[in-house]
Amino acid sequence: MSTILAAGSGFDFTLAQQLTVIALCALTAFIAHMALAVFNDGVRPFLLDFIQGRTTRSATTAVSFGLSAGFIFGLGAPMALSTGVLNPWLLFLPTDILGLLSPKKWLAPILGGAWGSVVVFGLNGANDIAHDLPVDFLTAMQQMSTPILFLFTLFPVLAITKQFGRLRGAVAGVIEVALVVLTMKLWPNMFAGALAMAVGVLMLIGLAVAKDLRQRRADRAAGVVEEVPADDPMASLFSASAARLRRYLPLFMVLGAGVCVLAQMHVFGGGEATSFLIAKGQYAEAAQVDFYRVFGFVPLIATTALASGAYGIAGFTLVYPIGYLMPNPFLAAVVGALVFAVEVLALSWIGKVLGKLPSVRDSSEHLRSAIGDTLQLAILFGSLMAANAMGGGLGILIVGGLYLFNEAMGRPVVKMAAAPAAVIIGGVLLNLLYWLDLFTPVKG
Amino acid sequence: MTKILTGGVGKVEVTRAIDALGIDSLDVAASSDIDAAMKFRAGQADYYLGTCHTGAGASLGVLVGLMGSAVCHTFGRGVPDAAEIDALLADGKKVFGFSMDQIDTIAPLMARAIADRG
Repeated sequence: MSTILAAGSGFDFTLAQQLTVIALCALTAFIAHMALAVFNDGVRPFLLDFIQGRTTRSATTAVSFGLSAGFIFGLGAPMALSTGVLNPWLLFLPTDILGLLSPKKWLAPILGGAWGSVVVFGLNGANDIAHDLPVDFLTAMQQMSTPILFLFTLFPVLAITKQFGRLRGAVAGVIEVALVVLTMKLWPNMFAGALAMAVGVLMLIGLAVAKDLRQRRADRAAGVVEEVPADDPMASLFSASAARLRRYLPLFMVLGAGVCVLAQMHVFGGGEATSFLIAKGQYAEAAQVDFYRVFGFVPLIATTALASGAYGIAGFTLVYPIGYLMPNPFLAAVVGALVFAVEVLALSWIGKVLGKLPSVRDSSEHLRSAIGDTLQLAILFGSLMAANAMGGGLGILIVGGLYLFNEAMGRPVVKMAAAPAAVIIGGVLLNLLYWLDLFTPVKG
Repeated sequence: MTKILTGGVGKVEVTRAIDALGIDSLDVAASSDIDAAMKFRAGQADYYLGTCHTGAGASLGVLVGLMGSAVCHTFGRGVPDAAEIDALLADGKKVFGFSMDQIDTIAPLMARAIADRG
């Protein structure tokens, strides 16, 4: 009986997929070792001091570990266990750390590859064991997908409200909800939020570009002349960084190919909402969700890369949605390499354009903030639904209680990860109670 | 008048939190890392408070590169006390990063400490 359940969502990796994950982890660790790219956007600005030799490898590793550990164990691992799909936090944050940690160039890919093996073999085992338990908390965690998908749809509305006020936010909200209703009525097979999200993101970007263009016209009319001094430290820092990244273009193209192939294999989801869509086989929808998410990250990744001389492991993350849609791994490798080449070559130009569009940069910060807000509620609610599915009232008591306890202690666990982590702990506790004959699983 | 700029994911919340304190000597405005760097250079800003999920690099953004790490400090996900903030301000730190889920605690602490220094 339990074997039938286990077939539902497991890490059924083929040999080719296992080798791809291991090879890609080896490559990303090597690239992190060279300080050419890291996945954690928070670590990137600190790499400048390392690249320029003002700080040590061990100090940089400590920064990377401190900033990533919570996301690996709190977000990456629970997300992968509950969806059966790999994610960048689980794969690339550890390879950031291992690559930076490694004292020798040759050791970095070995450590990275070892982590890749731990993930593909270890998770498989953990997943099988968990599905065979009397209280199957992994199947219960799939409850999270509905709130995540539907609330995520509204993230452009929140961003518009924060940046452009209540009125425009309300208009965007009404339009989006109408589009969701319309989509459900007319195209029941399509992901209900797809059209609404597209329109919402376009509205936000449209409003921001319009505001910047109006401002620039007004400045010009008022005779404001933008003066850029010849020895502008920002310009020289940015161009030195862009030049450093361009020197390693072939390596970045291999990286782009690898990440794109991984996405193409449909064992990997790039964003929080995407893992659930990939798990359900909704690749076109996953591509859409990750494509809109890109807009929240391009300015952040571009400016931190230009300021630090280190790029993102997944670049602007455009290779995720492209990868999901590619018909085969070979085409994915070629396209992924080309996308990374264009990104790295265009970095300087993107930085200059963004410099002239402050409202667009502002939008991206509001988008990321809105993504966080929607996911926070969705993940908390989804976790309580999972708690209810696996343990009824007792499940809600344990999971909700652990979440509140984390809050009361001043959030030692990142807020976003606290609820899913609580579901896993709760699942283990319920199984213990079952063995002690103190708890009967909700459904047989 | 001390000019504080905010940036990063939680800049609206940080600005609101400091405004709500009603400290007359502080002028706080939502900005971004790049604009803050330009304003610092032009002498139009005194402090920058950045926020992101990790509380570190992304909250400081390009400021670490442009202003130098000597004037930048990140609390990461930790919560400092008033004495620690005073010591950092006395040390000449101007750019601070912290985690967005600690805004309610850290933003008022920072604002009061900055206001006390006049």
